[in-house]
Amino acid sequence: MTTVARRDAFAGRPPPRLGGAGGRLWRAVGGIERRAAAWALRRQGRDGVAVTLQRRRIYILPTRYGLSLGLLVFAMLLGSLNYGASLGFALTFLLAGLALVAMHECHNGLLGLEVRFVGAHPVFAGQTAEFRIALAHAGRRPRYEIELERDGVSAGPVDVEPGEAATLRVAVRAPRRGWLVLPRVAVSTRHPGRLFRAWSWLHLDARCLVYPEPAPPGRPLPADAAAGGTGRPDAGDADFAGLRAAVPGDPPQRIAWKAYARNAALLLKQFSAGTSARVVLDWNALPDLPPEARIAQLARWCLDAESAGGAFGLRLPGTTIALGNGPRHLHECLKALALLPAPEDHRG
Amino acid sequence: MSAAAQPLPSAATPFAVRRLLWTAGIVLGASLPHWLELPFWIPVLLAVCLGWRLAVAMLGWRPPPRALRLAFALLAFVGVLLEYGTVNGVRAGSALLVVMVALKFLEANGQRDELVLMIISYFLVFASLLYDQTLFTVAYLFAFVWVTTVALLQLGRRAALLPSRSTFATAGRMLLRALPVMVVLFVLFPRLPGSLWGMPRLPESATTGLSDTMSPGDITRLGLSEEIAFRVEFRSRPPLPRELYWRGPVLDTFDGRTWSQGDPRRRNVARTLEHRGEPVSYRVMLEPEIVRFPLALDMPAEWSGQPGMRMGSDYRLRMFTPEAASRIEYEVTSYTDYRALEPLLEVDFDHYTYLPEGSNPRIRALAAEWLADDPTHAEIVERALAFFQSREFLYTLTPPPLGRHAADEFVFDTQRGFCEHYASAFAVMMRAAGVPARIVTGYQGGELNELGGYYIVRQSDAHAWTEVWLPERGWVRIDPTAAVAPARVRLGSSLPALSDAASPRLTLARMRWVRALAHAWDAANMHFNRWVLGFGPELQRELLRLLGFAEMRRAQRWQTLLALTVCATALLSLALAFMGREPRRPRHHDPARKLFTAFVRRLARLHVPPPAPTESPSDYALRASRAVPHLAAHIDAVVAAYLQARYEPDANGEALERLRARVRGFRPSPA
Repeated sequence: MTTVARRDAFAGRPPPRLGGAGGRLWRAVGGIERRAAAWALRRQGRDGVAVTLQRRRIYILPTRYGLSLGLLVFAMLLGSLNYGASLGFALTFLLAGLALVAMHECHNGLLGLEVRFVGAHPVFAGQTAEFRIALAHAGRRPRYEIELERDGVSAGPVDVEPGEAATLRVAVRAPRRGWLVLPRVAVSTRHPGRLFRAWSWLHLDARCLVYPEPAPPGRPLPADAAAGGTGRPDAGDADFAGLRAAVPGDPPQRIAWKAYARNAALLLKQFSAGTSARVVLDWNALPDLPPEARIAQLARWCLDAESAGGAFGLRLPGTTIALGNGPRHLHECLKALALLPAPEDHRG
Repeated sequence: MSAAAQPLPSAATPFAVRRLLWTAGIVLGASLPHWLELPFWIPVLLAVCLGWRLAVAMLGWRPPPRALRLAFALLAFVGVLLEYGTVNGVRAGSALLVVMVALKFLEANGQRDELVLMIISYFLVFASLLYDQTLFTVAYLFAFVWVTTVALLQLGRRAALLPSRSTFATAGRMLLRALPVMVVLFVLFPRLPGSLWGMPRLPESATTGLSDTMSPGDITRLGLSEEIAFRVEFRSRPPLPRELYWRGPVLDTFDGRTWSQGDPRRRNVARTLEHRGEPVSYRVMLEPEIVRFPLALDMPAEWSGQPGMRMGSDYRLRMFTPEAASRIEYEVTSYTDYRALEPLLEVDFDHYTYLPEGSNPRIRALAAEWLADDPTHAEIVERALAFFQSREFLYTLTPPPLGRHAADEFVFDTQRGFCEHYASAFAVMMRAAGVPARIVTGYQGGELNELGGYYIVRQSDAHAWTEVWLPERGWVRIDPTAAVAPARVRLGSSLPALSDAASPRLTLARMRWVRALAHAWDAANMHFNRWVLGFGPELQRELLRLLGFAEMRRAQRWQTLLALTVCATALLSLALAFMGREPRRPRHHDPARKLFTAFVRRLARLHVPPPAPTESPSDYALRASRAVPHLAAHIDAVVAAYLQARYEPDANGEALERLRARVRGFRPSPA
């Protein structure tokens, strides 16, 4: 790609930026759009997991290309009127008719489209969650150039063939632990010819679990109450046991780079140590830390304990998770930490 | 977002090259009609710009530096200014537009530029329509818009281009649906009788058969232009060919060599006309080149269709409105049998018998001989005609040049000439003998287009004849050419034997099928001119009358038409909205869906109602789990597998297999 790009000196020219009056206008438009979206929410209510787009919730406006064409048609109309040019009228009205047809095509591109939230893998706070949203429809003709837009960034476009579903991933930053609800997303299309943009606002019932951001590694696992083993075995004398999603703070030498090259997901190699530790991670064992830091430290310990391969349990205010291990167990523990109610209530 | 803000692929990828090629094609197609009108360097500039940009994308050439592009732009602008003296007006404007498109293409990069070029291309085509409107133009117009729509569909995409064939079909469907809108707007949108800011000046044409002056001695070769002057559709029985004298400019002032129009006197002569016999009603469709001379059959009695049309003091119809650059149409009723009884005053008598002192002495001598026995005016006319018939006069389109006393030399020396020579010589004879005479120019005859049921009058049918004023009878038409070459008048100029310089048409005309084909083509053109190009305020007025509206004022008509336009467009838009709707159709071929249906059927046996059309699978799972709690885990597993197989299928069908296994393993029994 880069070698090819160097051959064409035009490639890679930055897109023109809107400054001054244009920028102000654009921001004003943004404000109007926010208000319109709020109005639409009041009107159509929150959606479930899936939505089939109906006529009354699809909106359409011309794009700047559409507006330019409109201006052109108007100029041509004036010219035809002045010169009494019949064929001028014919071309003008043919273009007007085409624009009208394009408007309906654009609108119909969304009509009957089924948008479904299919899932989002849990992420750690500070990472970016990816909501997977499937598009399908019951029509016979393909739906072209469907995009999902949020805050001016778009996923797609993708063509949805009849009888097939296409999945788009909407990325949302996950700043805090807990449930991350998918914010308002617009499903839109500019087909045909980018003259119009038809869109529908979605308030899908879609959430993603956000684990707490683990504390930086360093603090050793508490002593094993039962067997007295230490938590952190050396990777060197352990057997490879599998992969798990990498989190910030994981040692880079244990990232599975080959796997990353294959599917662009950061995975951490896990090793099972010969020793099988048994440790209960207790909320009350960390009195020196403020509550959020405690949660972060507990999350780190859960990851460390899972890496170590031993059994571990979690004791939280109001919740206790019995000893266990494996990805599902780790998920249960991190989920409990993620969903722990606001820490002010549980101090001490 | 993973795909967010992804830049367009580099202009050197095959994808981008295809897009550039599409754009280049559209730009070429849009500028094509201009090429013949443009100075040669503009198409060259266009080719250079297209070639360079494509070479940059495909061969890795260096792009032109910014300074060079600026220099190009400046030079091109100055070039256009030098070429046309202005950057205003249709032609200079189109030239500038082509130049701009070329330079814009040179720096085109990405979707935005491509779409902008497409939109400018539409305008380029529009500009060409202002000076070229034929049936071919219509074909070109639709072809261009079709291809451009395909390009628009392709260039408007961010994803890969669509397969060409299906895109052509899609664009064709869009075009077909746009057609009714076009037709409705074309017919109903209110037209203006005049112009908004001024028209381009009428192109000066050198091929016109008619002019305000006539000097027979100067023309040594009369070109037979095949161009159509006007078409006539007879409402009543058409007159005989020898009665088809189409009256044009009347030349009554003579300086010894040249005939010209005198000062038009403000005299109403229309009521001095006496009409006899059967009226002849017809519609004239005048080509733009001769709109200055609205022709009518001798002698018009009533006319309508052009508000500014009056009869001049020479019995000729004139337009007193500023001439339009387009075709005009009007209705006339004429009587081929008439008396033009204009009473001549003494001063008129002098004017119509005036010959410059000392001109054409031999004809004067001849006239003096005729006057010896004091004949009546009618007898003088007869003597003159007999004179022409008794000598060896020859009708030819390539006469020898004539000197100072052109009429004398023609009558006594060369004796070769065409209608202008005969008419001029005859008028000189009459004036020499004291008979008021003048030249009438116009057209004689016409070719019947049997297919269209109308007559075509061509520039080659241009003719000149004489009118003499006789006491009691007024102005009488005398055609001396008919005395020499009666066939010229009886059969028209297209008789091959008449012309020694046969034009291609005259030769071809002998072939019957070529003639039939030509007539069909002309009929198509006539209808096109009349109903498409000629569609304007007058036809709209007619249309409103047909629709049952009472006659109304112009402003009111405008409002009515505008209201009709809006209503019809709204209706069409509504129809378009429903036409595009796709019928819903069950998805039989989706195996995941099939398995899920089987699963639903099994649950239905446990009295769990199947999901409603609006119920999502997850909602259904929740409901089913509540109804049969002991199966909740199974139900969740099946629905999860279904959702995955349906919406996130994997390439090797693992999700589908899992769903199949789970549905098969689901053998529920009541709790």
